[in-house]
Amino acid sequence: MASEATPRINAQYLENFMNQTVRILGKVVSLHGETATIDANGGITIHLNRDSHLALNNAVEVVGKVQQDLSIRVFQATDFGTGIDFKAVDAVVDATHRYKEIFYESND
Amino acid sequence: MVADTQRLPTERREAPAEGGSWADRRVAVRIVQREKYTDTYVLRGPRPEGGVYSSHVDESSYFTAQGTYGQDTLRPVTIKQVLDAQQPHPDAEFKIDDIEITQVTFVGQIRNISTQTTNITYKLDDGTGTIEVKQWIDADASTDMDPTGAGAPKGRLVENEWARVWGRLKAFNNRRHVGVHVIRAIENKMDIIYHLLEATYVHLYFTRGGPEQFTNPAGAVGPNGEANGQQDSTGGEMGVNGRMMPPVSASAKKVYGILKTSPQSNEGLHIQHVAATLNMPVQEVIKAGDELLNHSLIFTTVDDYTWAVLEF
Repeated sequence: MASEATPRINAQYLENFMNQTVRILGKVVSLHGETATIDANGGITIHLNRDSHLALNNAVEVVGKVQQDLSIRVFQATDFGTGIDFKAVDAVVDATHRYKEIFYESND
Repeated sequence: MVADTQRLPTERREAPAEGGSWADRRVAVRIVQREKYTDTYVLRGPRPEGGVYSSHVDESSYFTAQGTYGQDTLRPVTIKQVLDAQQPHPDAEFKIDDIEITQVTFVGQIRNISTQTTNITYKLDDGTGTIEVKQWIDADASTDMDPTGAGAPKGRLVENEWARVWGRLKAFNNRRHVGVHVIRAIENKMDIIYHLLEATYVHLYFTRGGPEQFTNPAGAVGPNGEANGQQDSTGGEMGVNGRMMPPVSASAKKVYGILKTSPQSNEGLHIQHVAATLNMPVQEVIKAGDELLNHSLIFTTVDDYTWAVLEF
């Protein structure tokens, strides 16, 4: 089951999850065609796939793989609208790693 | 299901339509009713035989008032918790954090929808794992689901959208799935966030005790650590000489509270006494005591089963 989990992270956890598939909920701050920048407790560059439809300033949840340069290759992006409280989102990311036993398998 | 039927002496007992007993359906209906009034859940501590002693949400009487569902709880969980749930032996109730689960609720992104003749199977992924949930198609049900909609019932239950499920964990041929009472599309994405926080809260409540232990009940604590003695009558919550109570389970806190507040000789209290006072099974008291012993909060006196609070 471990491989199916996509841990929720934000910009601060990128380095710890290199080459892993993760889930990031952030706010779209800029769009440049094939790539976009989202803010998830820090800026993250994401490489979009063809099915991604992002709206500027909306929240988006991406599932994707963390690349060597700490950008994200997006497998799937889901629009989360405008009503997202990012403080709560950060709390979930914090809880995910603090109490990982209920969120994902890890080797340590 | 036999047990469920027996618990419903006054209910009609025609054979239930396939896939769900009357009991299941009653619960589903009640869950829907609950949802209208509140967003909170009934949280219960471990159950001693014959009773529920720990509930910090007042509406716990909601189920017990009906008489028949006193044993049922509705617990918010992550899918990983569902997959990790322990089943002591086949047919036993599953356990999460050593607490029996009956009804569970969780959220998930719909990965796949497969419509069969008798059921619709959704594959849900909440980022912690993936599980199949089955909704049985009830030909004469007048719910808000539209079984003829071939996998596209009302409320945007479509692939890649998020849904919330209320149901019961089942094991069949070593494969786990959740039998769904209700599945709904999530309208407000914050529900996902709140749910994950709530599942964490309940997990921590059962594994480490409630949040009250982290507030200092005595208010000011002297520099040498003497608490000023404002212990609340239920016991259990106070720190140790001004120290914070280490993270222990709810039952361990109760046992500690009794040991701390009951009148006793310097021999402390025997577990039988503690068990009787708290109306808690002896096994559980022993477990709680082990926890407290490990934290050096109590010590054994005349024998292994007589404990006193370790004060220093």
